[in-house]
Amino acid sequence: MKNYIQNFGLLFLALVVFACEDVIDVDVQSAPKRLTIEASLDWEKGTSGNGQTIYLRTSTDFFDTASNTAVTGAVVKVTNMDKGSEFSFADQDDGSYTTTTFEPIVGDTYALEVNYNGENYYAEETLYPVPDLTVVGQSRDDGFSEDDLEVNMQFVDPQEEGNSYFFKFQKEGALLPVFEELDDEFVNGNKIDWYYESDEDDDTDEMEAFKPGDTVFIEFYAISPAYHDYLQILINQIGGMGIFDSTPVSVKGNCINLTDPENYAHGYFRVTQMVKASYTFE
Amino acid sequence: MINQRKGKIPGPLWASTLLLALFFGLNLGAQEKFTISGKITDQNDGETLFGASVFLEGTSIGAISNEYGFYSITAPKGEYRLLISFMGYTGKYEEVVLDRNLKINFEISEQSTELNEVVVTAEEPERAVLRKPEMSVAKMNIATVKQMPVVLGEVDILKSLQMLPGVTNNAEGTGGFHVRGGAQDQNLILLDEAIIYNTSHLFGFFSVFNADAIKDMKLYKGGIPARFGGRVSSVLDVRQKDGNNKNFAMTGGIGLISSRLSVEGPILKDKGSFLIAGRTSYAHLLLKAAGEDNTASFYDLNLKTNYSINDKNKVYLSGYFGRDVLKFGNIFDSSYGNTSGNLRWNHIFNDRLFSNMSGIISKYDYDLGFTMEDFVWVASITNYNLKYDLKYYFNDRFKLDFGASGLLYDFDPGQIRPTSDTSSINRLALDKKRAFEAGVYINAEHRLTDKLSAQYGLRYSNFSRLGGQPISNYGNDLPVVYNADLGIYESGTAIGETDYGKGETIKTFGNFEPRVALAYQLNDASSVKAGFSRFAQYVHLLSNTAAVTPVDVWTPSGEYIEPQLSNQYALGYFRNFDGQAYSMEIETYYKTVDNRIDYIDGSDLIGQNTIETEILNGESRAYGLEVLLRKNEGRLTGWLAYTLSKSEQRTPGGRAGGSGINNGEWYHTPYDRTHDISLAGAYQLNEKLSFGANLVFQTGRPVTYPNGQYMYEGISVASYAPRNSDRLPAYHRLDLSLNYKPNRRPENRWKGEWVLGIYNVYNRKNAASISFGQNRETGANEATRTAIFGIVPSITYNFKF
Repeated sequence: MKNYIQNFGLLFLALVVFACEDVIDVDVQSAPKRLTIEASLDWEKGTSGNGQTIYLRTSTDFFDTASNTAVTGAVVKVTNMDKGSEFSFADQDDGSYTTTTFEPIVGDTYALEVNYNGENYYAEETLYPVPDLTVVGQSRDDGFSEDDLEVNMQFVDPQEEGNSYFFKFQKEGALLPVFEELDDEFVNGNKIDWYYESDEDDDTDEMEAFKPGDTVFIEFYAISPAYHDYLQILINQIGGMGIFDSTPVSVKGNCINLTDPENYAHGYFRVTQMVKASYTFE
Repeated sequence: MINQRKGKIPGPLWASTLLLALFFGLNLGAQEKFTISGKITDQNDGETLFGASVFLEGTSIGAISNEYGFYSITAPKGEYRLLISFMGYTGKYEEVVLDRNLKINFEISEQSTELNEVVVTAEEPERAVLRKPEMSVAKMNIATVKQMPVVLGEVDILKSLQMLPGVTNNAEGTGGFHVRGGAQDQNLILLDEAIIYNTSHLFGFFSVFNADAIKDMKLYKGGIPARFGGRVSSVLDVRQKDGNNKNFAMTGGIGLISSRLSVEGPILKDKGSFLIAGRTSYAHLLLKAAGEDNTASFYDLNLKTNYSINDKNKVYLSGYFGRDVLKFGNIFDSSYGNTSGNLRWNHIFNDRLFSNMSGIISKYDYDLGFTMEDFVWVASITNYNLKYDLKYYFNDRFKLDFGASGLLYDFDPGQIRPTSDTSSINRLALDKKRAFEAGVYINAEHRLTDKLSAQYGLRYSNFSRLGGQPISNYGNDLPVVYNADLGIYESGTAIGETDYGKGETIKTFGNFEPRVALAYQLNDASSVKAGFSRFAQYVHLLSNTAAVTPVDVWTPSGEYIEPQLSNQYALGYFRNFDGQAYSMEIETYYKTVDNRIDYIDGSDLIGQNTIETEILNGESRAYGLEVLLRKNEGRLTGWLAYTLSKSEQRTPGGRAGGSGINNGEWYHTPYDRTHDISLAGAYQLNEKLSFGANLVFQTGRPVTYPNGQYMYEGISVASYAPRNSDRLPAYHRLDLSLNYKPNRRPENRWKGEWVLGIYNVYNRKNAASISFGQNRETGANEATRTAIFGIVPSITYNFKF
């Protein structure tokens, strides 16, 4: 809902006959490289959650497509702060670090430690339980367009306030996923209807509406309020910021650099419970 | 007790006695003097004329008619020739024998051809321009605004104003305007004295002012008289026509986007007149996917009537109602608009004392309907204003304005109402806020010597944030704290609320606002002027987006938000060449604003009850040089405006800790424009044909581009450079227009004209924004430019009968 209000002007511009969009060459500034930590310890409900992977990379120039960004030689460790148990992640020499012994426990707080290039990075995160998500079918009349297909879902938000969610949708065969976030600020304790419609883009044809036979993969995560704040900015800035958007900012995650605070890491250390679903349109 | 009181004159009375003694003291020892007063009106339609000059030939005694056409001049006993002049009108004179007080009303008529029409008149003829201390003022002639080339043929006074030095827009197709590096919410915009909170139709493609209903407008970029208050950057004073009190008349036009019709005429046995003007857009022409799914349209209605009770009393009633209606698919619809009304009473106490009392209501509101989720979101700002203004024409060297104003605000920052029982959205209402703003002022126009004139005054403003709502308290009294670990600003820890009853006052602010301007006439053709003014602004528009949108809400100062305070210094040189055929105005200014709100990274203003947790207190400054060269006479008229300027802001962390926004360093405001050049010209070929042209060049808007990327969650995420440290490419375009008035017989009442226009003749794709993202098919990052208007031809037919 906030998205619609935020993008009110954008929605309007998109409809205006005279407005035109084209891709152009632009010179941009070049920031020093930073470590990027993608530490997403996601526990699929009903599984053990023992196998987990953390990715370490570096940032690059904005238009760079060639650089190898994998970071190797780092030491990566996760600790359960409540129980004291430790999980080391083994360097796979391709930027990924893995473990097979992780034990996810709802309500527990975990700490991530990364030692890279003589600098220590640190983050903490708590694991929240995820409600069940029911895929209830498809429809055409919901969503932005009355003609296009969307998949409908339902879940129940718990009575207590402060729950946040993250949706990841990926159409089979699509290169990029689509993210959505929600907190229970306006909907606390309710049965919540959600839908996902692949918004058709007339100008670029980069996105197409769903057709019968298309499959969409759905991932639904319970996330911490802090991670929600992070995602909200990140998702809002995906696809760029226009004239009716707020000034874009470098979104800051929770991985702090204990050695040199200015040299913080991009990315986030999250520990979540999640459910997966898929739907094939009829 | 009683005796004691008798012996002491109460403070206010004492002050007014002193004041009176001062006025009359000034009169002592003068030779016998008499006063001529009256009204100046248009011969054809009876509209009162604002800014016409009245002079006694061979003397330096003169006056300018006020907003209601009233003038008053006082001179020693004698015989004079009284001259009346007004730009675009044929002058008039009358021989007078001044041996008693006289009342003389003048009717003057518009010049038959528009050859001599001056496009922008900086107030009035030669001597006065140079001599009056008033500076930084731009007045626009509506007839000229109507002839300037405009996008889609929609005449727009706000777009025309942007052709003047020191006035810019944010981006093409966005609303409002910026004056001398000031923000949009720092402009006080008045339509018949009512505050207009949002000047935009369709996000700013067009403005809310229907030129057919407007008599005149005046933009004060600085040197704002003490009678205005409440905003720190500028005042745009727009006045509606009173309505033709001689004949019944209709004016209208048919354009590509909208149609207009206005009706005016005398009423009540010619003791009054009325004007009703309406405008409505064709809902679908603007939109790509026109149809049931998406619509966008607007309409507005202007009303005005007046009635002369007698020579000394006249009442006016005016109103405005405008609305935009938008619908986006079946998910989302919205409507928003302004409503205002003003009841005025002009009373002339005597030939030297003029007064006006106004009771004004104005409101801006919007609603958003979420069809699918079954709820609506509404928000509004309403104010009630009572003001009383007096002008005393003491003598030819001294005039005094004084008055008082009270303004009551009701802020409704947002309510959510589910529209069905099955809606998954909970009912919610953000706290309503109330405030009262009072102002008293006194301002003198004083000719100290034949060469030196001064305008000096003082305004005292007082703002009370009224109770009737809870205010959150925070740990260490910090609504925003710096999280040193993560390097971000975040909400402070709420530790309960203080509930204020309706009768209580939450916080009160008071400010003295001195205003001084001096003019020194160097010779017959040139003068120098200097000014200082201080302003206080108590209400703020909350907007963290590059361009203001219709859903941004206003918020009052209070516990956590301080009033904006500004000091402006200006210096100017004014010169006429070749009589007054050419003129040159050069001004420089320096302006500072304290307590400018700035928004923390990732601030969330939508549905935010505790705005204080999203903002930090900063400051801004702007300085610049403005040059305006005009050709005022001949077949070719027009002007060249050049502005060199800088506008910056800075927001340190302050008590919240940390180094502040953008590391506490000065950064460009989004409306900083290093260079801004506007060339506007009109050429009158003959009585039937005239041409107009605009050429505009501007430095690109400061923006924030990415400075890197990283992979996260399967996508490329951009990291961004410091705020506003990049710039869009330069903006420039050329517009042309042709105005054709077909042959018409003098006896024929119907007068029609065609206006053909081409906007952005060389079809430059000026970037309104450039956004950065990943191509969803290739995965490569790319920069996408959004250009609002390429080449846009237009045709409009206007008529009058």
